[in-house]
Amino acid sequence: MKIVAVTACPTGIAHTYMAAESLQKAAKELGVEIKVETEGSVGAENALTQEDIASADVVIIAAATQVPKDRFAGKPILEVPIQDAIKDGKAVIQRAMKLEKPAKLDYVEQVQKTKEEKSEARTGVYKHLMTGVSYMLPFVVAGGILIALSFAFGIHAADVEGSFAWALMKIGGGTAFALMVPILAGYISYSIADRPGLAPGMIGGMLATSLGAGFLGGIVAGFLAGYITQWLKTVIKLPKSLQGLMPVLVLPLLSTAAVGLLMIYVIGTPVASLMNALTNWLTGMSEANAVVLGLVLGLMMALDMGGPVNKAAYTFAVGLLGSQIYSPMAAVMAAGMTPPLALALATVLAKNKFTREEIEAGKVAWILGASFITEGAIPFAAADPLRVIPSIMAGSAVTGALSMAFGCKLMAPHGGVFVFFIPGVITNLPMYIVSILAGTIVSALLIVMLKPSARPVEVIAQ
Amino acid sequence: MSISEVLRPELMKFDMEATDKKQAIQELAQLMWNHGYVEDLQGLVDATMEREAEYSTGIGMGVGIPHAKSAVVKQPVVAFGKSSKGIEFDSFDGEPVYLVFLIAVPEKSDKEHLNILSTLSRALMHEEVRDALMRATTPEEVIRAFQSKED
Repeated sequence: MKIVAVTACPTGIAHTYMAAESLQKAAKELGVEIKVETEGSVGAENALTQEDIASADVVIIAAATQVPKDRFAGKPILEVPIQDAIKDGKAVIQRAMKLEKPAKLDYVEQVQKTKEEKSEARTGVYKHLMTGVSYMLPFVVAGGILIALSFAFGIHAADVEGSFAWALMKIGGGTAFALMVPILAGYISYSIADRPGLAPGMIGGMLATSLGAGFLGGIVAGFLAGYITQWLKTVIKLPKSLQGLMPVLVLPLLSTAAVGLLMIYVIGTPVASLMNALTNWLTGMSEANAVVLGLVLGLMMALDMGGPVNKAAYTFAVGLLGSQIYSPMAAVMAAGMTPPLALALATVLAKNKFTREEIEAGKVAWILGASFITEGAIPFAAADPLRVIPSIMAGSAVTGALSMAFGCKLMAPHGGVFVFFIPGVITNLPMYIVSILAGTIVSALLIVMLKPSARPVEVIAQ
Repeated sequence: MSISEVLRPELMKFDMEATDKKQAIQELAQLMWNHGYVEDLQGLVDATMEREAEYSTGIGMGVGIPHAKSAVVKQPVVAFGKSSKGIEFDSFDGEPVYLVFLIAVPEKSDKEHLNILSTLSRALMHEEVRDALMRATTPEEVIRAFQSKED
């Protein structure tokens, strides 16, 4: 049995360490392995690594402050007031021991875990951007589908004020999509500078929208707001009695003013023209260029299956939805669905080339692929990267290129096959399905060709 | 660096007069102020009481460990006080306190000092250290009680 624990208190001078010692002492008495991270005034010491957490059966958090729990996702967590750990470490350890559960991960959990590990491993700029994107997504999903439903009444149905189609358009296009960039910018900034960063970020994002700088402007505004707020935190020193004013008055006011002025006078115009150039190029793109774009997006989606390259392609496509450009989104989702589908198909086509577990996993991979969870391919890719990754990249490139060539459009940023059935969400659905199938077949055949037989002994025995 | 650098002999009192928490903090803070470790006596007392208001540092087992991080403190330092009659300290276990450590830390302190303070806090969780402190009658004995746990 192994326990990992975090202790933390507001001043970080005494209780953090007393609690840690008490838990370690009790664990020793009870014969339990423990590692305790102390989050005191010198920062985190004896920090828990990914491996520590992965190998732990239970997590104990003994804190008088907020300790983020994201990195412990999937583990049983016991949270206790720090006093309890100091007073009776033994009782806390014993309570934690009862939480232990036999961890036999099935395939879906395994995929889930890889996803979590990936998002946990995100740091710096990439992490902030992904925080922004993840908060923005629900707005894009809700907005995009409502717009699509409005179009289902006819492409100009929304022009009639007061009609149902008009109402849907007003909710989706007029409101949800209008919030998209401010939310993106706001939560990028929030991720950098915590709560004081939210207001300047959102306001900067709103300015990006009104100045025509789109999601690119929003990303710039978000990072500016976050880093400016963070910087102000370190340079402004107020007497203690006034410190309460920092997060509500001083920081948001100054950073909002700074970000706003920068957006209006410095950044807004060049980014707006860049955004314009991009949208013009994308809307006026020749078919050949469209195919190349689809190809590149497809390669990116499959390269690291949910990693930074995949997310870069994805973010690009989602951001463009706000500028009414829907075809890259279609290519990206299709190309992201292909890898797990291809592996699922491969396990059916060549049972002798996969282990029994992989064949079982293949059944689940159908569902993960259909749900646009590209990570579903990771366990296969991890087991045999040199054969699997090039194969799925090839198939995804085919899918992306075909989707662009057929002029498919997608108005929702997620959902896989489940959005196929919502009227209006996908333009040219039959050809969209053809694109996905084509890439799936290409990848599956490549995998079957490249993979050696995995179970020669067993085959002979049979 | 060793524990004797923050736990100063001149900041130890073996016959505390205080009967409650506020008085105890006041008494040990006064000692720090007398020896020039703090710029503002009331400031230190206020910061410590403010910290106590969040939840008591009477950790039970007869030990109180009030502490403050404040700009009025010049260097990280610990004052130690012993009471024979016991001090009402609003402890986790409701029992009076016989050993009080007042820890004062400036807003910005170096890691080494903070590490010593964490060693001290950790040591207090061990019964043999607390027993040795209960028996101690001289500054040397107090420091020795910790030195057994220092590494």
